[in-house]
Amino acid sequence: MGEVILTMKDIDKSFPGVHALDHVNFEVKRGEVHALMGENGAGKSTLMKVLTGIYQKDSGSIVYKGKETEFHNTREAQDAGVVIVHQELNMVGDLTVAQNIFIGREPKKGFRIDDKKMIEDSKKLFQDLHIDIDPREKMQNLTVGKQQMCEIAKAISHKAEVIIFDEPSAALTEKEIADLFVIIRDLREKGLGIVYISHRMDEIKVITDRVTVMRDGGYVGTLITKDSTKEDIINMMVGRVIYEDPKEHSMVAPDAPVVLKVEHLNAGKMVQDVSFELRKGEILGFSGLMGAGRTETARALFGADPKQSGKISVRGKDGQLREVTINSPQDAVKYGIGYLSEDRRRYGCVVQKSVTENTTLATMEQFTSGLLINKSKEKKVTEKYIQELATKTPSADQLVVNLSGGNQQKVVIAKWLTRDSDILIFDEPTRGIDVGAKNEIYKLMNRLAAEGKSIIMISSEMTEVLRMSDRIIVMCEGKVTGNIDISEATQEHIMTKATRNIN
Amino acid sequence: MTKKKSILSDQRFIVVLVIIVLVAIFSGLSKEFRQYSTILSMLDFSYYDLLMAIGVTFPLITGGVDLSIGTGMVCYALISGTLIRNNGLPVVAAMLLCIVLGLVVGLLNGVLIGVMNLPPFLATLCTCMITRGAGSLCSATPWPALTQEGGWFHSIFKITVGTGRSADRYPLGFLWMILLVILMEFVLFHTKFGRYTIAIGSNKEAAALSGINVKFYHVMVYVVCGLFTGLAAIAYAAVTPTVQPGTGAGLEMDAIGGVFVGGVAASGGYGSVVGTFVGIFVIMLLKTGLPYIGLQANWQQIITGVVLIVAVLIDILKEKKNA
Amino acid sequence: MEKLKQNPMVKKLGLNRILLVCILIIMFVAFRAVLGSKFPVGDSIRSTLNYVYFLGFLSLGVTFVIATGGIDFSIGPVMFCCALVSGYCMTSYGVPMALAMVICVLIGLAFGTFNGWMVSYMSVPPFIISMASMNIAKGIASVFTKTQSVSWPQSSDPVNGWFRNIVSVNGFPVGLIIFLAVAVLCGIVLYNTKPGRYILCLGSNSEAVRLSGVNTRKWRMLAYMICGLLVGIGALFFVATYTTVQPGYGDQYNNEAIAGCVMGGTSMVGGLASIGGTVIGVFIISLLQQGIMAFGLGKGQQMIITGIIVIVAVYVDVSARRRKN
Repeated sequence: MGEVILTMKDIDKSFPGVHALDHVNFEVKRGEVHALMGENGAGKSTLMKVLTGIYQKDSGSIVYKGKETEFHNTREAQDAGVVIVHQELNMVGDLTVAQNIFIGREPKKGFRIDDKKMIEDSKKLFQDLHIDIDPREKMQNLTVGKQQMCEIAKAISHKAEVIIFDEPSAALTEKEIADLFVIIRDLREKGLGIVYISHRMDEIKVITDRVTVMRDGGYVGTLITKDSTKEDIINMMVGRVIYEDPKEHSMVAPDAPVVLKVEHLNAGKMVQDVSFELRKGEILGFSGLMGAGRTETARALFGADPKQSGKISVRGKDGQLREVTINSPQDAVKYGIGYLSEDRRRYGCVVQKSVTENTTLATMEQFTSGLLINKSKEKKVTEKYIQELATKTPSADQLVVNLSGGNQQKVVIAKWLTRDSDILIFDEPTRGIDVGAKNEIYKLMNRLAAEGKSIIMISSEMTEVLRMSDRIIVMCEGKVTGNIDISEATQEHIMTKATRNIN
Repeated sequence: MTKKKSILSDQRFIVVLVIIVLVAIFSGLSKEFRQYSTILSMLDFSYYDLLMAIGVTFPLITGGVDLSIGTGMVCYALISGTLIRNNGLPVVAAMLLCIVLGLVVGLLNGVLIGVMNLPPFLATLCTCMITRGAGSLCSATPWPALTQEGGWFHSIFKITVGTGRSADRYPLGFLWMILLVILMEFVLFHTKFGRYTIAIGSNKEAAALSGINVKFYHVMVYVVCGLFTGLAAIAYAAVTPTVQPGTGAGLEMDAIGGVFVGGVAASGGYGSVVGTFVGIFVIMLLKTGLPYIGLQANWQQIITGVVLIVAVLIDILKEKKNA
Repeated sequence: MEKLKQNPMVKKLGLNRILLVCILIIMFVAFRAVLGSKFPVGDSIRSTLNYVYFLGFLSLGVTFVIATGGIDFSIGPVMFCCALVSGYCMTSYGVPMALAMVICVLIGLAFGTFNGWMVSYMSVPPFIISMASMNIAKGIASVFTKTQSVSWPQSSDPVNGWFRNIVSVNGFPVGLIIFLAVAVLCGIVLYNTKPGRYILCLGSNSEAVRLSGVNTRKWRMLAYMICGLLVGIGALFFVATYTTVQPGYGDQYNNEAIAGCVMGGTSMVGGLASIGGTVIGVFIISLLQQGIMAFGLGKGQQMIITGIIVIVAVYVDVSARRRKN
């Protein structure tokens, strides 16, 4: 590690009603990879947005290369060599790779853009990074991993001295993460300062030199990675020790009937010949890396996306398992399946509408007497669920947009409970939800299972999978690679299955 | 890595085939259609459509639209024409005025859409009404005829050699059109303006985060469209004996229809000026060709509507297949 | 201002709507004060109401479409197409009055169904289908009537004059009653029935509604169908007031209808619609047209002013939404 290249001191930032950053300190040295950790909403992104000029700080100082600096927009930050590689990819799909890398600063030859030079320069960049990408390819034709590589190449082409990676591995395969780490180590060798934001503890241990932890908009502390344990970091993040003991054995009765049977399901590239069974009262964990095809399987099963082939059987009210045709979410809902998306704001609830309207969205029929909606019945049922699920909302008329992530999730759960769905698909049930609310959601899921609902739980958090599931289906590149009972499941066991096809 | 695209998958190639088929049908069924004077008049009436279409290609690539081009064009021609008649404005100045008016309305559209974030169709629907209203404050005015003082401007589009028999007239305008198409194709694919037009249509947010002044370029897209509308006004005045107030609504449809036939994506992001060029000829052929095979002129409105829907549906189905 | 907003009475009626009613009254008083006898109270109210009748139906219709986050600016020409085709059936083919009226409404419904089907089942962007339908409607009307204008019967017509009773009977404004009744019905449909709930929700977040097992395509299409139906009814009121229709026109009413709707507080982004607001908005727009005419200004100025009003109304909506987020 070399000298300090960037120091942020006593950074303070408020938004109306929120003290987003409370006197935060952060520094980066040349030749180090510095992890920035914290739960969702801890203020990591805000801090980085202040650094790169998207937000302006209220007070505090930023010293970059020995000079007090304040960037007013991303452009200024880029020009000075502070570049961010965004989590959501920031690319123009209809332009080529080279055009994307040099967007906003195209080399010119008179009036025209010098595309030839751009392609040459891109090639050189990729050579330095040992990446094989054709700069003439349209961006939208690349895989997510390759697109990320292009983003990195773009960052480096800015003559970057500080690069911020915002959860770069979220969408990458194991192989691509390995490639990414090679590149990051290479950049570290060259003396760049690197900020690495991630939730994945294993990655932090592997790639970073120091860890700074934030909590609730405040600075908690900085550790040397190799001298600290996972528990140290977690403790700093949550402020208390949490127990996440894995489940010892399945809670499902041995004679519990099968409620859902999926056979040879095929849907696009991401779902290939998927078969599994779900039993009454079971929590079936779906594990695997990002892009393993778990969400795609759920969406195809639910009828949200088209499928090519496959047989789906559902247990009817009479206890008989029979084959059903599911071509749309309507069909799925009819057979008692409910889907809780990972992206609640986009796919879960209508955020600009009230808690009541969201709760009854899937069950309007129950609340119409004649032609009209029975609003008092609607409200009564909604209030019942608000109480039952302990949803924190001032009233049933509150707009969902004003609720926190955990409470939004509860509203979506209430929607499916109103429908009396027997099969619930939870896609990343606790993503974006803070620790306290997480436990509540877990308790709720356990209660639902105990009451005889069957749950499919897609999760990328190993601890969550091991804690909640009765059985675990592991997927890798669109195929089921493992079907493990919880009594035999270990982290290593699942990981091996999850990476089986990847070489 | 790059997949070789077969020429058949290029919509523009298919459109050229359609043009050939249409020409074959019309000239097979009608003797008059084969005459030089028919071709000449068809070209005459294609210029203003084509100019509007070239202009509106840019907003359409950004995923927006400009509905004010038809009424705008008529409005500029009316105002300038009135000034020529009543105030003795020289024709050169009138032509310049057309262009300036186009730029001003284009700027207004651009600011409403790019800076104030109004939905493009709504903002331009309003400027469509405003220009139409402004136009109808003028009275019907012919620009100077070819033989009158100031009539020289007709020669920009159709040069007459000798006695004035149609055989001695040459569609000079066609040459300008080809030059303009080449110029704007170059602008679209090889200049910053063009590249950012595509970027805005494809992913506006990413473009903004890349440090591009998105607002400026978004406004410029509509200014360029306005510029071409101004040029179209001159071409329109050259072929219309008397420009009538209150008309022009619906003319934007021919231009926008042509652009979609030429292969601009319904959601923006890609398209080409050459595509627009061939697309507009499909519309023009239908417009001028149908009367020759015995269909009322009003059918053309219906057919343009249907062609627009079909062109957009083809694009949507193609997109679906790729996804 | 803040205090006013918290007042329970104001909250119930909506500050926006109260302000709009104030604007309406102030406008009327101002016109009267400035124009004096050129703006006779009785006649002005009558002509404003006449304008309200047909425009109101267009506005109510397009409110449903805008609530889904879509747009339909083919409504003006479609209204003319309805009136022209059914009127021509009556005058040239001897179709009886009652049947002609049914045909008129059905043509509107047919266009609405077509637009809705294209938007929701074929995924064609609404503004494109609006442009196409506008042309098709104008084209059909011109072709069908051979570009002739069509006159519906006068109220003195012994056989068919009765149809004018939908507007007024002996000076009693039946049209107003019908219009308000339809508005109340629209309000009930939008706020108190399942289709209305779905229309509002899918305008706000279509994908979330679909994933709740709702057939979003069907309900989106229904919104366009309701719009088409109301446009057909609007056409009847148009001819019952103004008798004669000419092919090739009708576009200006698109803007006026959308203006009434957006002014009333229906958001262009979808998901938020106010039927009450639309009704007041329509009154304001109609009164404005009368005022402009009383000033001795023509169609041109009308169009310009309406254009500017829509821009301002939409801008207020857009910037209010942005401030919220």
